[in-house]
Amino acid sequence: MAAMLTPKDFATATPSWWCPGCGDFGVLSALKQAMAELGKQPKDVAFISGIGCSGKISGYLHSYAFHGVHGRALPVATAIKLANRDLTVIAAGGDGDGYAIGAGHFVHAVRRNTDLTYIVMDNQTYGLTKGQSSPTSATGYVASVSPDGNPDTPLNGLALALAAGATFIARGFSAQPKQMVAMIKAAVEHRGFAIVEVMSPCVTYNKINTYAWFKDNVEDLTVRDGYAPNDRLAAFEALTRDGDIPLGIIYKEDRPTFEDRTGLPEMPIARLDIRQPKAEYAAIQAAYR
Amino acid sequence: MILNSVEVMFGGQAGDGSLTTGDLIAGVFKRMGLEVYTYKDFPSRIRGGHTNYVIRASENHDYGMADAVDALVAFDLEAVEAHIDEMRPGGFVVFDNTSETIPDEVRRSDVTWYEIPLAKIAKEMGLELIRNTISLGVLGALVGMDPEIVRHDVRGVYQRKGEKVVDLNMRAIEAGESYVRENFADRPSGYGLTKGTDGDRLIMMGNDAIAYGALVAGCRFMAGYPITPATDILEWMSKQLPAFGGVVVQAEDELAAITMTLGAAFAGVRAMTATSGPGQALMTEAIGLAGVLEIPVVVVECARAGPSTGMPTKTEQSNLNHLIYSGHGEIPRVILAPGTVAESFELTVTAFNLAEKYQLPVFLLTEQALCQSKATLPPFDVGAVQIDRGKLIDDGEVTFGEYKRFAFTDDGVSPRVIPGIPGGMHLAPGSEHNDGGVITENAANRARMMEKRMGKLVSMRDDLPRAVLHGVADADIGIVGYGANTGPIAEAVDRLARAGILTRFLQLRTLWPFPEDDIRMFFGGAQHVFVVENNYTGQLERLIRAVIGPVDALQSVRKYNGQPFRPIEIIEPIRRIAAVGEPVEVI
Repeated sequence: MAAMLTPKDFATATPSWWCPGCGDFGVLSALKQAMAELGKQPKDVAFISGIGCSGKISGYLHSYAFHGVHGRALPVATAIKLANRDLTVIAAGGDGDGYAIGAGHFVHAVRRNTDLTYIVMDNQTYGLTKGQSSPTSATGYVASVSPDGNPDTPLNGLALALAAGATFIARGFSAQPKQMVAMIKAAVEHRGFAIVEVMSPCVTYNKINTYAWFKDNVEDLTVRDGYAPNDRLAAFEALTRDGDIPLGIIYKEDRPTFEDRTGLPEMPIARLDIRQPKAEYAAIQAAYR
Repeated sequence: MILNSVEVMFGGQAGDGSLTTGDLIAGVFKRMGLEVYTYKDFPSRIRGGHTNYVIRASENHDYGMADAVDALVAFDLEAVEAHIDEMRPGGFVVFDNTSETIPDEVRRSDVTWYEIPLAKIAKEMGLELIRNTISLGVLGALVGMDPEIVRHDVRGVYQRKGEKVVDLNMRAIEAGESYVRENFADRPSGYGLTKGTDGDRLIMMGNDAIAYGALVAGCRFMAGYPITPATDILEWMSKQLPAFGGVVVQAEDELAAITMTLGAAFAGVRAMTATSGPGQALMTEAIGLAGVLEIPVVVVECARAGPSTGMPTKTEQSNLNHLIYSGHGEIPRVILAPGTVAESFELTVTAFNLAEKYQLPVFLLTEQALCQSKATLPPFDVGAVQIDRGKLIDDGEVTFGEYKRFAFTDDGVSPRVIPGIPGGMHLAPGSEHNDGGVITENAANRARMMEKRMGKLVSMRDDLPRAVLHGVADADIGIVGYGANTGPIAEAVDRLARAGILTRFLQLRTLWPFPEDDIRMFFGGAQHVFVVENNYTGQLERLIRAVIGPVDALQSVRKYNGQPFRPIEIIEPIRRIAAVGEPVEVI
């Protein structure tokens, strides 16, 4: 049994490219803490990120990390999990990566319910392209490509996930690390597709949705009387009603995964010996005689 | 009497069962010892619309369609009107005259007409669909099929539906045969086939051979999005892979299909996807990622007529440029093109080996006229298949800090770990990176990384499938082509030789990196070189011109109507230039 690791064991030597004060730092440190507390080994963690400020996170977690193309973290993560079930697979990206260019994959990854964790770092703006509206920007949000205010309705990613059949939905706030660590741990341990949306303020471009703004506008669901995260209608109400942004584990359900439904063997595909021809090959050919 | 060469066209409306009967005819010819090629010419719809199934039987394997149709089985007037001009003089038409008659202007006098109320007879037998089997009896009697083999094969197809269905089909065959005996004794078709032995042969579609090749090559992950004419591969793999511990994912789109393929390959599984032009356009996004992350993926493109939706069920070779040049930035890539069903298997295995040995995307480019066509071929020697996983580290461990995923090496290929290997942790970034995977825009590193990746195209030279030379090596007249055109060109070469015109044919099997040396050597001593391809702009010809410079000797033979070449279309232009030898008989 390998020694229990600390968050430091999940750090890389690569210096961060994020702005000082960026909400993504909180997500990264919670992730390292969660990995350590779960007893994971870096060699067994596959960490896949999208493109954008948030996408850089894969460079900062000591693991098998994959920093691919914009919006496609989930298909890559899905396949890595299917290829090797022994791995802990985590995907991460921003609100643009997940809810705009990757929205199609998001919905279908939810439906597929592959056993992986998806962290959406929501800063309600496009940071790396210098401050445009994102899918979660408020209507009227003034940005470089919407100087008269964002004309679109913000996308409710978690309500979308619920509608698509998500089996684990949680939301955190990057200034509340303890809750985030617990949430990420629960998401990783959830058997199926788990989404954790983190409100992760952009200190450079988003002057509306700041740390202070969030502190005034979030509500911890876990302290709400009688809230249990196993009621889909209650979850939908919590996610869509006007008022404070709910934090905590919002919904959780056990349902067969893609792996269960396809009868995928426990033996990782990546460990199969393919170098020797199989006796069964001949019978397939014989059917064409 | 035309012996042992016949092309049958089975024409009607989509969904009327003619595909099953077409397969049956192909199987009967095979069991009679003939070599078979089939071509499905169907519309992009499920029920209705003119469809036809061509079955060509001859004594030469690896040929494509003949010059003309010998026997047209037409279930409606539309089928006659659409194909009467393709009939060989001396051929015959079987026409269902239950509800339509042949107008005089369509009734060619140089073909024999057999008008039979097939639907009416079928109705009297109690099942309209049985018309197909009745027509099989008619065709068998006219063309000289072995009645025992016909019955054996029909029984084989319908056995699972029960003895009642088999019995009905047996009576339907008899009804067809006896109708010919009783009504057309005075009107012989002029056709006959001698029976040989089937021997140990297969009859298989190009897509089946690709999928089987992938399985034998160790592919255990496929992601795909349904698209004609590539879906067969996805269906085949979804049936077979689970039994071998693998998995198939029907992705939400081609962006997901290719990125899933990358993910599985990154994790250490031999992975593939298959698509056609429209899907390839979407996959373009991630091909560059495969190149820069040095991930081995195999992408099968089953080309169809473009652009846009184009003609989804028709054949074309208009995607060569797309495969070579698509994507921003520059990456090394390989494009292989099988010319036969047998090569579809062999080159698929090669594609997986090249992909892993050189850690890059390999395309297998085929076309509708090959990938959805059946052909007879010898069995595959699966025991002889070699699996070369290159510098893969899928066992043991490496030392963290010393191990560099993108290490600079002489051949440009770096040792590749898979997730789970202790010590191999690294970042695989689509951004430019150093040998350890750390993102950097350092100018010297960038230049060196470009040279490392692109240099793989040079180090792989000896491993690439060589072009095949057909015909007479020092003939004055040359032909260059690839893919589905291999059969018609090879037949043209054989028949021109019989007419005293010697030619040689360079069948390209590696299309990228472009086989410049083979092309240069081939042009040496050639008076005329014909480039045969299924596109408008001469995509292959332009690549050749870029290698050998301006040449007078180069002639184009292009076809872009969605139909594959018939050999006479290649023979004629060559015969005109050669201006020697005897006229070539239309076959």
